[in-house]
Amino acid sequence: MTPELRRSFAGIDGWVGAILLIAVLLLAVLGPQLWALDPIKGVLTATFKPPGTIVSGQWHPLGTDQLGRDLLVRIMAGTRLSLGIVVIAGLISALIGTGLGLLAGYAGGWADIIIMRLVDIQLSIPFILLVLLVIAVLGPSIANVVIVLGVTGWAIFARVARARTLEVRELDYVEAARALGASRLRIVLRHILPNIITPQIVLLTLDLPRLIVLEASIGFLGLGVQPPVPTLGNLIGEGRSYLLVADWLVIYPGLVIAALVIGFNFLGDGLIRLTQVRVD
Amino acid sequence: MLRFLGNRLLQSAVVLLGVSAIVFFCLFLAGDPAALMMSPDASRAEIDTFRKAMGFDDPVLVQYLRYLGKALTGDFGISLRFQRPVLELVLERLPATALLAVAALAWSTTLGFVFGVLAAIKPGGLVDFLVRTVALAGQAVPVFWLGLVLILFFAMKWRLLPTGGYGEARHLILPALTLGAYYTSAVTRLVRASLIDVMGEDYIRTARAKGLSPGRVITGHALRNALIPVLTVQAMYFAALLGGALVTEIIFAWPGIGRLAVQAIQNRDFPLVQAVVLLASTVFVLANLMVDIAYVLLNPRIRL
Repeated sequence: MTPELRRSFAGIDGWVGAILLIAVLLLAVLGPQLWALDPIKGVLTATFKPPGTIVSGQWHPLGTDQLGRDLLVRIMAGTRLSLGIVVIAGLISALIGTGLGLLAGYAGGWADIIIMRLVDIQLSIPFILLVLLVIAVLGPSIANVVIVLGVTGWAIFARVARARTLEVRELDYVEAARALGASRLRIVLRHILPNIITPQIVLLTLDLPRLIVLEASIGFLGLGVQPPVPTLGNLIGEGRSYLLVADWLVIYPGLVIAALVIGFNFLGDGLIRLTQVRVD
Repeated sequence: MLRFLGNRLLQSAVVLLGVSAIVFFCLFLAGDPAALMMSPDASRAEIDTFRKAMGFDDPVLVQYLRYLGKALTGDFGISLRFQRPVLELVLERLPATALLAVAALAWSTTLGFVFGVLAAIKPGGLVDFLVRTVALAGQAVPVFWLGLVLILFFAMKWRLLPTGGYGEARHLILPALTLGAYYTSAVTRLVRASLIDVMGEDYIRTARAKGLSPGRVITGHALRNALIPVLTVQAMYFAALLGGALVTEIIFAWPGIGRLAVQAIQNRDFPLVQAVVLLASTVFVLANLMVDIAYVLLNPRIRL
């Protein structure tokens, strides 16, 4: 471990974040291999069994739901899908936002004015309402949720990319490239982009918690990925109806969401200290 | 100052114009807005009649300008489900949401300030650690999950408070707690960070050197300046508050705008959805405008 990395994780929160994130990622990635139960098909003689119950030789560490499905395997599958959705959506946002931010920062003029006004507009519409409106129009499917979350989240990436571009474009080596006759596209892609990519990655890490909660909220409201396919949000939405008889159906998926949010926040803070970037 | 105000007002108007365009053109994402608004088992002829009645035959730009013109005069169309003017429905639900938001903001801002100041007195100390842990938890758990857990314990298990409803003070407690939790954490973290920042300034050292008590240094000198960054970020959290209100109202059957919006989306009542999005965005833009003005008034370093 390099001294820098060690320093960034010196605080107790760095370690807590890393452990939480690794635990949940293992749960999502390796879990389904090790815990090979069917997340969709249940056993109707094993409904609403509390955590730790053994039903006909099968152990259910987190209990079962209204259809006798194992909650642990549903959470594993749900975490995997929810994480996949928000990571891809986050990458789409980062890509669109960085591209537009570069354009606004480097080209300036009208492009800058228009793009920055679009940022204001995008940030003025409450995300959740816009996302719900678009999903209501297009219909709920995994692809639509990814696209909507991805396309609506670009604004902060554009803002940060533009600010960094404005700084970097005045540096001597960019001036030198320009003097050597490099094309504008080449300057932007070869000389500016590599220098603004680090803050964008940090920003993406810090934006993931927002996306995780947003995706879960859509799922909870029943407007995202539809059951029986599990996501962290729709697990809680489904479990809500059985709160009094089977509170574990609501409690455990929520704890996984909290672990993810804390984990990514700490990772982002750690990355900020490690790379010394500013993202505000 | 006047020029600044004029610029900011113009900017807000442009933003709202953009929002109205997005809200309007969203309906065309799936192709035919008439087919979208009718029930799936409507016949071809029914959809055609509806399309004519709603004016979906005209060029899209004409439709948008017509929508905009009507919206400016307060006419947001007729709700497809309730068959009543959308504005009426929204205004009916506004007091409930406003009550919830004000209650949540009031307790969370107060508590956030107290926590933030306590933590900033001795950064790295035990109080700071506890406050930061609580703040972290408050920001990490989803609003809807917190609401359900509160219902589980306070309403279902201990039977202290109702699971939902509206009308009495006891109905307000759990929803306001739920909605304010995230915000408390946000205010706590902001006040703490901002205070710690300000405490390193020269004039604080001067105040200490004069022999002022630590309490006086914080309340009389540091807090005023620590307020400025807190205020700027407040407006941003307003959006989170709106999103939180949506799920909070659903969980507690609170008859506000958030619940109206979700029901409208589930009923495919698009004129109503459009109006709610537009209204929420307007509130957000106005809140930002007011924060910017307050920022100028509070910060003597900015003179316009």
